[in-house]
Amino acid sequence: MKYLPLVIRNLGRNKIRSLLTGFAIAISIALVCILRTMPAGLDNIIARASGTTRISTHNEAGIVYSLPYAYLAKVRAVPGVSAAISWNWFGGAVDVTKGVEFANFAVDPDQLAQVYPDWNLPQSAFDDFAKYRNAALVNQATLDQQKWKVGDEVTLTSTVFPVSLTFKIVGAIPQQGNTTFYFQREYLAQALQDAGVNFDTTGMIWSRVDDPGRVGAVMAQIDELFHNSDAVTTSETESSFVGNFFSSIKQIVAIIQIVAGVVTLCIVFIAANTASMSIRERVGEIAILKAMGFRKQTIFATLLAEAGLLALVAGAAGALVAWGGLELLHSKFNAAQPGGMGALTSFVVSGTILVQAIFVSFFIGILSGWIPALGASRRSVAQTLREVF
Amino acid sequence: MIDLVNVSRLYHRGADEIHALERVSLHVERQRFVALMGPSGSGKSTLLNVLAGLDRPDSGDVTVANQRLNDLSEDELAAFRAHTVGFVFQFFNLIPVLSAVENVELPLLLTNLSRAERRQRAETALRVVGLADRGSHRPRELSGGEQQRVAIARSIVTDAELIVADEPTGDLDAKNAEEILSLLQTLRRDFGKTVVIVTHDPRAEKWVDEVIHLDKGVLLETRPGGAARAGVAG
Repeated sequence: MKYLPLVIRNLGRNKIRSLLTGFAIAISIALVCILRTMPAGLDNIIARASGTTRISTHNEAGIVYSLPYAYLAKVRAVPGVSAAISWNWFGGAVDVTKGVEFANFAVDPDQLAQVYPDWNLPQSAFDDFAKYRNAALVNQATLDQQKWKVGDEVTLTSTVFPVSLTFKIVGAIPQQGNTTFYFQREYLAQALQDAGVNFDTTGMIWSRVDDPGRVGAVMAQIDELFHNSDAVTTSETESSFVGNFFSSIKQIVAIIQIVAGVVTLCIVFIAANTASMSIRERVGEIAILKAMGFRKQTIFATLLAEAGLLALVAGAAGALVAWGGLELLHSKFNAAQPGGMGALTSFVVSGTILVQAIFVSFFIGILSGWIPALGASRRSVAQTLREVF
Repeated sequence: MIDLVNVSRLYHRGADEIHALERVSLHVERQRFVALMGPSGSGKSTLLNVLAGLDRPDSGDVTVANQRLNDLSEDELAAFRAHTVGFVFQFFNLIPVLSAVENVELPLLLTNLSRAERRQRAETALRVVGLADRGSHRPRELSGGEQQRVAIARSIVTDAELIVADEPTGDLDAKNAEEILSLLQTLRRDFGKTVVIVTHDPRAEKWVDEVIHLDKGVLLETRPGGAARAGVAG
């Protein structure tokens, strides 16, 4: 510790250089911290968006291909399925010129409450949804986004079907993070019938399995049921479904993480170059210290401490900036528009990430200072004195 | 204090061999002020480095303050220098980011003294060299002569027996050079130090007890300096 003042003074020797190196390390560590939130953030989104005993059944060819609506009755008859509903993407827009601003689906109201007990809606809201043909259940985030409230009448124009439908909002789904809108399939079916459009398909079927231990068996049984039909199905758990939906994003995140690693490596080289320059300028002074009796281990340790301390302080600052920045972003957006951050609230610089960042920073410092410090500490005093003075 | 017997030092520069020291034998008593003189390349700095434990001879024995330096490891040599030798260099070589008193305190970091004790000793050393009121100044705020005084304070702060100085007046004007030589003489006379300097400065002769002449790595002659002749040796 008695060498710490010397280490700190040496860091202040060339303030601009130390600051610039510190900024480079801080910015890279802040970026790495933010990127490190992505895997956990995506998992969090998937976890929030999924239930463990809810399964999705869709066309094996992909979710854009439909299934016969008749499949719903067959799925409901499968032993172990306690409830099931159909889902149809409506693609409704408040203003078609703005496009679809939130997900909206036509669903079967009769078993909606059993399939989505985690919506935490009062039974009266489900009852109203089933009772009124034009009823809509809307996620709170959607209400906030559109500045709607329960009781409002709203009109959506479909970008998929040739109809516009007017709905009455009967309930707000308090679950945060998703902008969604649900209405009765029957309402859509009648409107399409009036428009002369045949409507006997569904995009997918969502089922609730009564026993978490039988989810796999039930999924296999459903898919087996339609194995030899024209529309072969694939069933998966909700978490798996959402996970697959995000899988391409996860691959991109993996690439970004690799890039972040390369950036960190580049920062090591930049910091090493700075350390090398700083030490090279002081070979004479270092020789004088050795002449005074400073051992090479002490010289090595103090030079390494300089690089380590700079990187540690800069890295800690970068990590705190990343943490504070995301927290500020969350609070600002939520204050301006509650729930408006949606899924982005899942991205949090956790304590683990902060600790990892601080360790990585220190590692950058040590790695960058190692070779220059070793070279300087091993240099012969007499030779240096001859060369420098 | 210093005993060198048949010391040789050879440097390789490319394919060339340079005999920096050739079978030099030398004896310096305690509390003497000795000047090593000679033309450039005569081996005087090499000789200073060898007797101060900064460089090792290729052959011959070096004994300083009753320690045979040939037998010491790198770490032991470092410890020897820390306890026994104080260094003064031509260009002062103070750490620019430290104040004068912090520069003087530097060698004491190698001791077990407390921070307060280190500071007290550093201030005492500055007082000895006449810079008690300049302790808080950075080197760039001091004149060349003052910087060299700080360097001398740094060399005596550990109470080293041997002070070695390589061209201590080389970067100073005549007045400051005289003052530095006088100060070194005072260290010998009043503080009982053994002082060995390398110098080209003919003015040094009148201040030292002994002048040792070298040329091409060979010790040519040892003769009394002005101080010995004037009976300054105390």
